[in-house]
Amino acid sequence: MAKEKLSIGEVSKPRFEFRTFGRDFDETAYLMSRLSVPVPKKVWERFSEEIYILSKTNDVNNTKIRDGKMDIKTFVKEVDGLEQWNPLMKGKFPIKAETLKKEVFPAFKVEMPALNKAEYSLDEFLGIIKDHPDLQAVKVEKERYGYMVNDTICEYAVVYINGASVVTVNSESTEIGDIKKTIKDLELEGVENINYLQAIKRVIGWIDKPLAN
Amino acid sequence: MKTTAPRFEFRMFGLDLDPYEQRIKEISEKEKTRKMSSIYFLTAGNTTNNLKIREGVMDIKELEQTYKGLEQWNPFLVGKFPLKADVIRTVVFPAMGIESPVFEREEYTLEQLLNEVICTDPDLAVAYVKKTRHAYTVNKCITEIAEITVNGAFLKTICIEAEDPERVLKARKKLGIDPDTENVNYPLALKRVMGLAELPEHWK
Repeated sequence: MAKEKLSIGEVSKPRFEFRTFGRDFDETAYLMSRLSVPVPKKVWERFSEEIYILSKTNDVNNTKIRDGKMDIKTFVKEVDGLEQWNPLMKGKFPIKAETLKKEVFPAFKVEMPALNKAEYSLDEFLGIIKDHPDLQAVKVEKERYGYMVNDTICEYAVVYINGASVVTVNSESTEIGDIKKTIKDLELEGVENINYLQAIKRVIGWIDKPLAN
Repeated sequence: MKTTAPRFEFRMFGLDLDPYEQRIKEISEKEKTRKMSSIYFLTAGNTTNNLKIREGVMDIKELEQTYKGLEQWNPFLVGKFPLKADVIRTVVFPAMGIESPVFEREEYTLEQLLNEVICTDPDLAVAYVKKTRHAYTVNKCITEIAEITVNGAFLKTICIEAEDPERVLKARKKLGIDPDTENVNYPLALKRVMGLAELPEHWK
């Protein structure tokens, strides 16, 4: 079967991903910049502010809110240490209580809180999260720098988790072989694959494990 | 047991403290640099005790008083691990402001305390903090610039401390730090990063 040509910033089939977090990936960033083909100007630098909703009871659904829109991705499978995540739901605030009951809180896999209104603004939703013992909202700001290496979408990013900074690098593609070649070319072999949920949970102390460096 | 005379302290955290760092370096030579690792025990509701373990020794700093926004923390040594369960029950847990669990051992190593008691308590959080601390002197105050990581995430901090609070206030002015700048102690900064305390607008 022919490989799907990936375009940065555009929708594709579900991709596999290698990502890691730490304090210092300067060498990786250098290699990425030298090995990359030219990429569209719109992905050279991107800045975003997001809120991740973390659940103590599961690591299989990744919920984030950006520009008033909620986006939940669900873990599909792991192949050769690479993870595949698929979109589970997208919603916009104000959000209907029905959607929270049927889609959002089931994704958190926690006890359903009482929902007495027909719909909820973002602030009201965050109020529910704040009161829930198994959920936490985390402010995440990102400075992302996009590249394309071996036909995989790559990124070097500085990420501020509740104001403290970490660095992340990634390679994602529908083609596992291309990601593995990129990991080798970026000299990341043996480095732990750490996704956003894992990294944030480690920083906020929910998982007692260090980042990659 | 008292370890040092309690000092009044002003501390700030952030990622861009460059103007103040520059000013400190203009005023003072760097005296020394120390690297250290500490473990902090945190609870959401506790704002008056700072519990820290360094090199296998636990100490607690208690907020004694505030003076014009400065904080005076009074340190006392809890002891070296292994710690007696009785000490953990009567000193450590009351300082954290939460109810003590039932202890199954007579004494605990640090690993046992972390794995069997602290990490199983939903009201408690642990921060692993690595610090590179650079010492300076400004207006006869101990002044520090430090790079730290909190569970792997990076922050910077500047601290001015002295037994005489007026001296600290003058040093702060000398560094051009706005008197309205929030004084943030270590437990509060760690709790903000870990989501145990609200993030104010200016926090980054």
